Amino acid sequence: MSVLFKLGFSLVSSAARNGGFLACSSSRALHASAACRSKDDRRNIILTNRRRDDGTEGEGTVNVDSVIQLRSEMFPTERTPDMLFNGVPFSKVPICNIRVSKNNTIITITDPVSGEARLLRSCGIEGFKNTRKGTNVAAQSTAITFGTNALNKGYTNIRVRVRGLGPGRMSAIKGLQMAGLNIISLTDNTPVSWNPPRPRKARRL
Amino acid sequence: MANRHVQFISRTVLVRNGNVDEAARLLNRILGREGIFDQFRRTRYYEKPFQQRRRVNYEKCKAIYNEDMDRKIQFVMRKNRLEPFPGCI
Repeated sequence: MSVLFKLGFSLVSSAARNGGFLACSSSRALHASAACRSKDDRRNIILTNRRRDDGTEGEGTVNVDSVIQLRSEMFPTERTPDMLFNGVPFSKVPICNIRVSKNNTIITITDPVSGEARLLRSCGIEGFKNTRKGTNVAAQSTAITFGTNALNKGYTNIRVRVRGLGPGRMSAIKGLQMAGLNIISLTDNTPVSWNPPRPRKARRL
Repeated sequence: MANRHVQFISRTVLVRNGNVDEAARLLNRILGREGIFDQFRRTRYYEKPFQQRRRVNYEKCKAIYNEDMDRKIQFVMRKNRLEPFPGCI
């Protein structure tokens, strides 16, 4: 860039010596990249490189739109229920419900049509008692035994539906994966309301 | 509340190439950004009106501060200048 600039400068000076009226046009021809020289150019650059406006962050909208655009194939569409997974449509794949709470993790597999629970396992059944139930280790080992049971019963593809927040949230999903189940989708089913009935009074610590 | 939405369409992420971790992180990130986890945690116990007031005021102040600071940082870090190389001939 600097070399080019110098070249242009010498050319300009020689042109100026010759007659003086060629200066501008001759120096302009030597730019290798786009020259940002005037207010108009700047305006053009701003117009062409303008970032997409998602609204003001934190005020009604959040910056999720760009994420959605980046990974649009990871989000379900209206055709997703008919998508086939090993010959089974998405809407008929068995559902694995994970109920996570602060003190326990319960995993069930339900039939997609009738909604009946087919298999159930919780950290308490697994042998963890009292506070140990509410740990990620307990959730993971529960998920692993549950996953092997499910594989023995012939469930390979599952949809996972997680409900609640707690230490077992991520580790239960990981445990299912480690057991060899093929998770095809993750759904959050946490009950959240913006106008709930009055909750219990706050704990006094 | 969640049951009123279409199941497995809303709040759902499909797993791509067996990459469960990526999907889980994406789902958690979106839910966290939209404040769904915050609301869930907040409604476990009753929030007294004075606590609510204090929280809302604090959030307002924080949002104003963050916005101003972002603008300042944008201003200092801007690269699209009228003179691309100020000080050079």
